[in-house]
Amino acid sequence: MEGDAPEIPQTTPVNSAIYFDGVSSRRRAVTLLFSDKLEIADHEQTLAAWDYAEIRRADSPSGMLRLGCPSASALARIEVRDVALATELISRCTRLDENTPGRRGVAVIVGWSVAAAVSIVCVVLFGLPLIADRLAPLVPDAFERRLGEVADGQVKKMFDGKVCDNAAGQRAFVKLVTAIRESAGLDTSVQSGVLSSSIPNAFALPGGRIYLFNGLLAKADNADEIAGVLAHELGHLKHRDSLRGLIRDGSTSFLIGLLFGDITGSSALIFGSRTLVTSSHSREAENNADGFAIDVMHRLGRPAKPTGELLLRVTGKEGKGLSIISSHPLSEDRLARMSREDRSASKPPLLTPEEWRSLKSICDNKI
Amino acid sequence: MNEMSWPPQVPPGPPPMPVPPPMPVAFSGSRSEFFDLVKRGAVLEFVTLGFYRFWLLTDIRRHLWSNTLIDGDAAEYTGRGKELLIGFLVALAILVPIYLGYFLIGLEAERYQAFASIPLVVFFYLFGQFAIYRARRYRLTRTVWRGVRFWMTGSGWVYALQASLWGLAMIFTLGLILPWRAAALERYKMRHSHFGDLQGRFEGKGWEFFKRGWWLWLLTPIALFFSPILPFVYAGYKAIEWRWWLSGIRFGDVRLESSLPKSALIGLYWKVIGWSALIGLVFLIYLGLCALLVASMSDDGLSEFFTTPDAMRSIPLLILMGLGYLVMALAMNVVSRVYLTRDLWVTVLGSVNITGLEAAANVAARGDLANALGEGFADGLDVGGF
Repeated sequence: MEGDAPEIPQTTPVNSAIYFDGVSSRRRAVTLLFSDKLEIADHEQTLAAWDYAEIRRADSPSGMLRLGCPSASALARIEVRDVALATELISRCTRLDENTPGRRGVAVIVGWSVAAAVSIVCVVLFGLPLIADRLAPLVPDAFERRLGEVADGQVKKMFDGKVCDNAAGQRAFVKLVTAIRESAGLDTSVQSGVLSSSIPNAFALPGGRIYLFNGLLAKADNADEIAGVLAHELGHLKHRDSLRGLIRDGSTSFLIGLLFGDITGSSALIFGSRTLVTSSHSREAENNADGFAIDVMHRLGRPAKPTGELLLRVTGKEGKGLSIISSHPLSEDRLARMSREDRSASKPPLLTPEEWRSLKSICDNKI
Repeated sequence: MNEMSWPPQVPPGPPPMPVPPPMPVAFSGSRSEFFDLVKRGAVLEFVTLGFYRFWLLTDIRRHLWSNTLIDGDAAEYTGRGKELLIGFLVALAILVPIYLGYFLIGLEAERYQAFASIPLVVFFYLFGQFAIYRARRYRLTRTVWRGVRFWMTGSGWVYALQASLWGLAMIFTLGLILPWRAAALERYKMRHSHFGDLQGRFEGKGWEFFKRGWWLWLLTPIALFFSPILPFVYAGYKAIEWRWWLSGIRFGDVRLESSLPKSALIGLYWKVIGWSALIGLVFLIYLGLCALLVASMSDDGLSEFFTTPDAMRSIPLLILMGLGYLVMALAMNVVSRVYLTRDLWVTVLGSVNITGLEAAANVAARGDLANALGEGFADGLDVGGF
């Protein structure tokens, strides 16, 4: 090919192209000359000479070859529509497609993306729980109490701030909580209360607050059932589960949010995967709190099994399938564990029948 | 008033030179090529859990830009996926401490009053507007035509402040002020846009926008209650906005003019809705088949399987559902890009006429590249704009 080169271009007018010099937007009709470099000539005047090895392909509409030479001028372009000339140019410019990402480029992107995704998933699954465990004890109590105050304000707003505290009921509640708290080895900073809501539930907030919903009291048959629930929530406080959960779930949401980005329908994917991860962590924390509750009840000389029965009564039978998306262990399993590790009562009940009746009616307005 | 003096001092000569015919704007890309591009991109996007988006976006722009011919010369997009990735990473490095600070400030605010932290959202609005400006600057500086690049000056923060003040006015006027807001913001953007040494400006008036679109403002509350007319209202609004925006753009003596009819985009939106419904239907049928398959393989009878809560807990079924969902999302992405990116581009482009292009025949190259930080913020904050 080298030998043919000098003869073809100079004689044929076919080697015409359009040239933009990158300095002005002037459109020039030029002739391309193939010497040791690619010469761009306007009649007699040579406008530029490009090294073949430095010529790169630029984006072009279909049916046109567009060339640039980054080392000569960032934006200078040659446009060729003639197929024969384009073929000739392609055969001479050996490193034409060096800058365009080909199959290899895509493979590199895919490879590193998968690596990034794998490391994010590993950090979410294994790293964050570890970090949260190490970080939670370093967070000052004062900060955690602030978090608790914020959550408390929002909870009270959501339930219209209806705290149940008629005198007799409150006395019984305080007696029950104090007995459990002392046995659990927590100090007096723990705050607790009964909220008026028909939802059968109880929860712990960061900074030492536990709340019991009236709905759970209504479903309970005796003080041991409620005592186990309170011990379970105190277990969350003792392990600082809310704070750890906050650190862990916040970081999990953030890291998973890095993936997917703007793909339509990605929010469902992000939500789904986050639910899977956070609920598995949450099941673990629940199991630990259950173990804590069983220990506390044993120390108080009371059975743990009634709590399991209360849970099952509240949730109903939850089925035999594996519940990977559930935030709590199955009620059947929790009851089974509490029965297995149960001991019969060795000490008197925590509340007298009279006190238990008062506690049950704590939300009745001063009758 | 002396120009109006009568009789005219100039003797009535031959009629003025006929205005040269408007220069055509053409699009040369094939639809099937674009379809292949987004199909492949969607698959890669899911394989890479979304990281490929930077390269896909770049490829889409490269295709659209390089097939857009103005006065016979094709434009070129010189941005690269890597730049977008770096912009995203830099934005992330800046946004993470801000999010953390936001969390802490919010915590303090909530102590005094529950839900008091909501006004801090205003700050993110400001940031989003900054991102919109800087993202436009990135795209503009990557746009090359006839070997000369577009470029942009101005301050993203000044723009963000203006946009936020106008946003406040939007709230007080229930959105009626939107045309004037759009005009004022576009004037700022275009005043700072350049093609080589040609300075841009925006001549669209808020009043013209209002005149063409006020009835949509009245229709919107109805559309929100009666959703079948919502696509008509939205498509009408977009068409009016595109036409008004394009018709106001000037670069020196180069003038753009668009004749896009109000109804031009309605078909596109309905096609997307139709395809989405079809894809959704296929997904539902697929779900039904999966449930039947899993049920027939379980020990219990069919009816028993569906009446127990086990149906929702079966792991094979969950996996099949997840895979189906992925494919559905993938298909929806392709549909939306083909109709709302490519076809919309071609439709809008077909309505554009350009006059005074002689002014762009010999423009000196000037201006520098801007970084992709704005695009990164826009990605991180999920905002979009022209």
